[in-house]
Amino acid sequence: MRSIRARSKVTAAMHTSRVAVALALTCAVGTVALAPGCREPLAAPIAAASPGDALPRSGGTVHFASFADVRSLDPAVASEAFGGSLIAQMYAGLVEYDFDGSVVPDLAERFELSPDGRAYTFHLREGARFHDGDEVTADDVKRSIERALHPSTPNPFASFCENIEGYAAYAGGKADALSGVVVGGRYVVTIRLETPDATFLPILAQYALRPVCKSAGARFEATWAPCGAGPLKLLPGGWERGRSLTLVRHDGYFRAGLPRIDSVTFAFQMPIATQRFKFEQGELDAVKDLNQSDFVQFTSDPRWKAYGEFDAEKEIWGESMNVEHAPFDNIEIRRAVAAAIDRSKYRKLKAGLLHEANQVIPRDVPLYDPNFKGQEESYEAALAHMANAGYAYDPISKKGGYPGVIPYYTYPQSYPEYSGQVLQQQLATIGLRIELRLVSYPAYLALTRRRGRVAISPQGWQADYPDPSDFFEALFHSKSIADEDSNNTSFYKNAKVDDVLDRAHGELETATRARLYGEANRIICDDAPWAFAYASRRYEVHHPYLRGYRTHPVWAYFLRDAWLDRTPVKALAALGLLGAPTAPLGGLR
Amino acid sequence: MQSGRGRPRPRARFLAHRGARVGVALVAAVVLFALVGPMLASHSPLASDFVRGIGDDQMPVGPSRHFLLGADRLFRDELARLAEGARLSLFIALSSTAVATTVGGVVGVLSGYYAGTWVDALLMRIVDVGLAFPFLLLVLAIGAALDETSAWTILAVLGLTGWLGTARVVRAKTMQVKALDFVAASRALGQSTWAILLRHIVPNVAGPLLVLATMSVAQMIVAESVLSYLGVGIAPPTPTWGHMLFEGQDYYASAPWLLLAPGTAIVVAVLGFNLVGEGLRDALDPRAL
Repeated sequence: MRSIRARSKVTAAMHTSRVAVALALTCAVGTVALAPGCREPLAAPIAAASPGDALPRSGGTVHFASFADVRSLDPAVASEAFGGSLIAQMYAGLVEYDFDGSVVPDLAERFELSPDGRAYTFHLREGARFHDGDEVTADDVKRSIERALHPSTPNPFASFCENIEGYAAYAGGKADALSGVVVGGRYVVTIRLETPDATFLPILAQYALRPVCKSAGARFEATWAPCGAGPLKLLPGGWERGRSLTLVRHDGYFRAGLPRIDSVTFAFQMPIATQRFKFEQGELDAVKDLNQSDFVQFTSDPRWKAYGEFDAEKEIWGESMNVEHAPFDNIEIRRAVAAAIDRSKYRKLKAGLLHEANQVIPRDVPLYDPNFKGQEESYEAALAHMANAGYAYDPISKKGGYPGVIPYYTYPQSYPEYSGQVLQQQLATIGLRIELRLVSYPAYLALTRRRGRVAISPQGWQADYPDPSDFFEALFHSKSIADEDSNNTSFYKNAKVDDVLDRAHGELETATRARLYGEANRIICDDAPWAFAYASRRYEVHHPYLRGYRTHPVWAYFLRDAWLDRTPVKALAALGLLGAPTAPLGGLR
Repeated sequence: MQSGRGRPRPRARFLAHRGARVGVALVAAVVLFALVGPMLASHSPLASDFVRGIGDDQMPVGPSRHFLLGADRLFRDELARLAEGARLSLFIALSSTAVATTVGGVVGVLSGYYAGTWVDALLMRIVDVGLAFPFLLLVLAIGAALDETSAWTILAVLGLTGWLGTARVVRAKTMQVKALDFVAASRALGQSTWAILLRHIVPNVAGPLLVLATMSVAQMIVAESVLSYLGVGIAPPTPTWGHMLFEGQDYYASAPWLLLAPGTAIVVAVLGFNLVGEGLRDALDPRAL
């Protein structure tokens, strides 16, 4: 009895291994068979149904997908860039970013600034409606701002609003109302600030303070059903968490005739390769999660070139060096790193989607100065800085340099994993040895933003709102230093920089602001808390039939003006223009 | 077929086994590649070549005289990395198998010999818990706790999670052997427990153990590749087959060799060890003939 049982276990193990062999063989054959097929050229773009000058038509459903997911559609608590873009389509704000990045009136018909630069008065459009049919009034504006900034609301954007008069008392729970927001009539609302503030309008145009329906109440509740005054609205059951979101046209939208589409569907957490194939099949109307290889294919194909567009470049990356941590407490070592990096190598790893960066802000952020040289690459200078630091390195004998191995914290399966290896190769040539430590993304965030923990790590910053203050203050102002979750990951503190940044923040005159940020930029590049490395942007392709659709400088999706000009899918299938019919068309072949 | 004295000895049977011969050839090829491959490649597996590694389309260059298997996404020599990865894969697979087989063998023999006692109960409950625990979750947890992963931690994790199945099989075989007459006889003659274990039990369970170990090498190669593929294996820039597979997958359309090279290496190595294992099983199995 026993021996039989033993025997059967051995054979079970053998069977498993046979299955493994069979699987392995299948995989090998599959890989070989698939590879040449994958090299086939891209499918052709699906043409628009009517000629180029056709008048926009209404109707239809737009299909998008993303690798990302959305955690909240409540403007008061959302924090991700992708979710924020969807929120911006659902909630209209007093002001909105125009296609050139400037701030223009939206729900407000117009606004004016008081002579002392401290009070903005907004005049609302009459007759603008929320998704539930109520009219948008000044009381709604005040209620929504107070809800978003209520002490019980976990609003990641709240710290940007500290300059609103009475904020400290309200957020501290000492006042029942936010005294700086004053209703001056059914359609008039004034927002008063403590000090003049150049960042106020760009921050207001963000989604966090946008008016929400009365059903939202006075404070954040996780169970609230999203409801705003934007061009697209959410119907019950329209959001399948982790899977998809469907938004439909808000018929009471204050811009007559807009939006033109009936609805839009976003599929979440879709792998990049799947998105590409669905896009080629016409199941997705646009795609922006492209890997390097797809990007090269789409941009080098003349049929597709006219239907692709770059996003604004509003994300900066660099090697953040902790100025409180050896060896980067030595300014000469930091300067050596900043001078040693050949930034063109970062670009070549992702050609077309990255630019070399050697200063604090990326090129599509206002007040970017293209003539400022910033941190310049020079191998000789890098070696000289190493010698000044007391760690002279001889590249011929490979002797000298910093004796220790410095852990470099990054996260796996990401571009920084690759750029980190390039950095490793480059720093080795000046006698600095780093060792990659790959930790999970949450661990990477926790460790690199903790005081005194990590010496060097790759860090990126994406504009919360299009203004240089967002980059300078978050990354290099001493007020952004915290023991945990510190935005200032190099723990850099310079009183002169703090002073210049504070002055620039309150300066309303653009030329003076530009001069002040230029000064801060120079000091920071020289002190080198970061070795600035690259700025990234994204490329989006859409089918020709998706018309009136442009990339927006802030929002990943901007659907207000888009319209569909597509031959009905059934007709295409009948003509044999679509490949294998997908599930809903299964019977048509 | 034949039985009794006339049947061929295990070695002869193994050598006559067609699958086993193919397996031995594949394993020999992988070992040879690991030994001399790094010398064949003219480049360091860690150095990016930003001049010759980049094609006109800004993508990694394909197989050419300069880079026999093309360049990877960091413009390094794929061949040099593959060979370096072979060394690492074999080293980890063989070492972790040694750990797993030793631990599994000792636990299995003890548990089988003392079947029904508290020793057996305790050891088998440990095995039950271990087998019930999701392997990847365990590895992720260990990786997170250690803050860094090196070849040694991967080896330890694989070795210390890989012995459970072995222990089960060896326990069963031990119980079977223990019930045989010659064991009862030696006990009656007053031999010590240790002597019985070492002289009679261990030699009789060695056959299945050898088969399991050979198969385990293949499983360890796959396990290491899976971990590296998922990004919880050995940190870059050290090349491993699994991570090379991951790095290549974005380029399946424009640079398919980056998927094919590590994919083929894994398949060949796993197939080789599995075939050898099957050959050994057939050769050592008294009922096969």
